[in-house]
Amino acid sequence: MSNKGIRNLFIFGSIFFFVIFIGLTIDTMKKVDKRAPKITEEVDAGKKLWHKYDCIGCHTILGNGSYYAPDLTKITVNKPEGYLEKFLVNPRKVKPNAAMPVLGITPEEAKKIVAFLDWVSKVDTNGWPPKPVLARYRVPQIPGATVYEKYNCKACHMINGVGGTSGPDLTHVGSRKPDPEWHKKHIRDPQSVVSDSAMPPFPQISDEELNQLVDYLITLK
Amino acid sequence: MRYESQKIAQNFYTFAVLLFLVQVLVGIIAALQFIWPDFFPLKFNIIRDLHINALVVWLLMGLMGATYYVVPEESQSELWSIPLAKFQFWATVVAVTAVVLGYIWMGFDPQANKFIAGTLLLNEGREYIEAPRWADWLIALSVILFLLNNFMTMYKSKRWTGIQGTLLGGLTFLALMYLPGMFYSKSMVKDQYWWWWVIHLWVEGAWEVIAGALLAFMLMKVTNVERHVVERWMYIEVALVLFTGILGTGHHYYWIGTPRYWLWVGGIFSALEPIPLLVMVWDAFRTTRTHRVVSNRLGLFYATSHAIFNFVGAGLWGVIHTLPQVNKWTHGTQITTAHGHLAFYGAYVLLVMSMIYITLPLIRGAENFNTSRGYRSFWWMTISMIFIVLTLTGAGMVQTYMERLVGLDYVTVKANYNLWFWIFRAIFGLGFLYGVTLFVIDFFKLGREPVEAVATEPSETTV
Ligand code: HEC
Ligand code: HEC
Ligand code: HEM
Ligand code: HEM
Ligand SMILES: [Fe+2]
Repeated sequence: MSNKGIRNLFIFGSIFFFVIFIGLTIDTMKKVDKRAPKITEEVDAGKKLWHKYDCIGCHTILGNGSYYAPDLTKITVNKPEGYLEKFLVNPRKVKPNAAMPVLGITPEEAKKIVAFLDWVSKVDTNGWPPKPVLARYRVPQIPGATVYEKYNCKACHMINGVGGTSGPDLTHVGSRKPDPEWHKKHIRDPQSVVSDSAMPPFPQISDEELNQLVDYLITLK
Repeated sequence: MRYESQKIAQNFYTFAVLLFLVQVLVGIIAALQFIWPDFFPLKFNIIRDLHINALVVWLLMGLMGATYYVVPEESQSELWSIPLAKFQFWATVVAVTAVVLGYIWMGFDPQANKFIAGTLLLNEGREYIEAPRWADWLIALSVILFLLNNFMTMYKSKRWTGIQGTLLGGLTFLALMYLPGMFYSKSMVKDQYWWWWVIHLWVEGAWEVIAGALLAFMLMKVTNVERHVVERWMYIEVALVLFTGILGTGHHYYWIGTPRYWLWVGGIFSALEPIPLLVMVWDAFRTTRTHRVVSNRLGLFYATSHAIFNFVGAGLWGVIHTLPQVNKWTHGTQITTAHGHLAFYGAYVLLVMSMIYITLPLIRGAENFNTSRGYRSFWWMTISMIFIVLTLTGAGMVQTYMERLVGLDYVTVKANYNLWFWIFRAIFGLGFLYGVTLFVIDFFKLGREPVEAVATEPSETTV
């Protein structure tokens, strides 16, 4: 083929692929809104704040962004609203060694941002992020440990290296806080013993479960 | 150099080289913030914005300078308007400086980033295209003036060559692909969908087309290869770039809320993307082997290295995580960072540097120049970059395993398992900084210092 022929192949071939790409784009634009909840005004306001504070400069969302801080795609699945709002307003009050700075977010702004994050968590992402397939963690055969599992305390707390980092590490909580009564009050209503605690209250735990859970916690020494 | 107006390239190169130094300095600060989050007054996001924006801007400035060199030469005429080129240059410098000051201001006072008439004043909060809307328009204006100047030069001289046609085609595509980043979407899914048009169609579309054209120009400049041969291969390369790269955008549409068919489209087409990059490597080697007349060995050395590391960084480090079966686990981990660094370094940093080493001696009228600093700078940068990338790939593998497969917490993996990788990245970063410093010194001294040092490398003067 002559150079001119190859050049024409380049030009028209590229246009051909671009047209297909535009076709797929039109189809995608028609479908994406059905794969996510409705966008309310609050969600949109939250998205604007997301941009205003340049959250993407540290975090990924839907897996894209910066790799300095956790991905926030499904953050509202495990962390209740109240906790997230407190964290956004002042991360270091919730978690003294947080690397996230205080950005000056007001409580009203935090509510909107959380609404936005909650919208994102409901987007159909074709199954991403995937469930960890090699999770080797076994729940200890202690009644309290089962309760701990059931109420997903591990979303925020760590025991022996397993679990989240939003709240304090509980591996040795038994030696720090040996009083079962304190724990019972704390779990039912954290703010009754720790002023302004960001931990959510657990009124839904039955009395029997609570006793088992607290017995377990105070053995962690 | 044959045309007075080609000198304008130097302005662009100078600004580019200085921003390169800034980019790497702030990169090291960012690396240290992984270890000590609070050691610097500006927080990580601001530092990172500066790092990646400086990168994109200096590469664009370098490409513009290179274009102002290539177009008069290919058109065999002076540039249409030198004052316009100068105006466009200074307007860009002023806009970029204003944007940088804005980021720093926002770093000290996040509330200063206010919504004014529906757009953010200082920072748009979207990765790579953080520049606020008013700056977008200034940048767009600058690029339009730049394109106009070059098109008019070609139009007046009526000499259209394949190289300059492809170069300006790539630059026009680049300018057009800036537009999908300039409107607001309420849906985060659509936001990211259009955002990838800008980012992906730049680096894996327009910029690779530009790279193909400049590679052809450089090979022709330093060897005696015939034009129709390099242009032929150039067309094949850029055609394959766009045939695979346009639909290859789909590799960013697996998990962001877009339909499932993108897993097929993106997976298949992006897996083919390394092919044109491999053709470019082969092109560089074949030309060097069969055409022995070499005028600028250092320049050819950089151009060939660009082709190789474009293939390794973009092609190999890209293809390892491009299939949905792999990307499902690695998406948004340090594997991406490893790829991002080697790809940008190999494809575009080395491209601009090789254009500088091939055209600057001609601009300064120094056919013979001391090349030893140029080689040393290459090895310091390249070896440091290889180690940075191996470190990040290690961090990415640990992160993928611990966080995505075993299910440990992100913060735990970052703070405990990956700590040593952060330390090593920072150390290798210093090696890279040393290489950049050598390059910057070389840039300012090239052709302006006595050439007797050349005598220590006789092969340089004899060929
Ligand atoms: C300077 C970097 C930085 C910026 C900017 C930033 N974050 Fe963070 N964020 C972090 C880091 C690091 C963590 C991990 C926890 C920690 O150590 O602070 C985090 C954690 C979080 C968490 C998870 C808390 C938990 O306990 O699971 C949420 C939610 C969050 N950030 C939301 C945001 C939002 C929303 C914004 C923008 C308004 C934002 N972040 C801006 C660095 C940042
Ligand atoms: C959304 C996150 C979150 C969840 C879920 C959570 N916690 Fe907490 N927890 C925290 C935070 C934040 C603190 C620190 C403030 C405080 O002491 O109340 C904390 C503190 C604690 C403490 C005190 C630790 C100490 O050293 O002072 C205990 C014990 C505890 N939580 C147990 C639990 C148990 C048991 C559950 C499950 C029923 C649970 N938490 C669920 C966030 C959480
Ligand atoms: C010169 C060309 C290239 C450059 C400069 C480049 C650069 C980048 C950068 C910077 C990112 C990260 C974007 C972000 O910060 O969110 C990225 C992501 C990605 N790139 Fe490339 N790339 C190039 C070519 C390629 C090629 C040829 C392939 C595939 C064969 C590829 C595959 C990918 C994939 C799959 C991702 C997404 C990673 C993830 O899921 O997190 N890239 N690229
Ligand atoms: C020419 C050389 C370099 C290029 C082309 C480059 C390019 C990039 C790019 C494209 C990104 C954003 C995308 C991503 O994270 O993948 C980035 C982020 C980053 N770069 Fe660089 N960089 C270079 C040198 C350096 C150096 C020398 C350091 C310091 C050791 C450094 C440290 C960082 C850090 C810490 C980040 C943030 C990564 C993250 O979010 O996890 N970079 N760089
Ligand atoms: Fe891509």
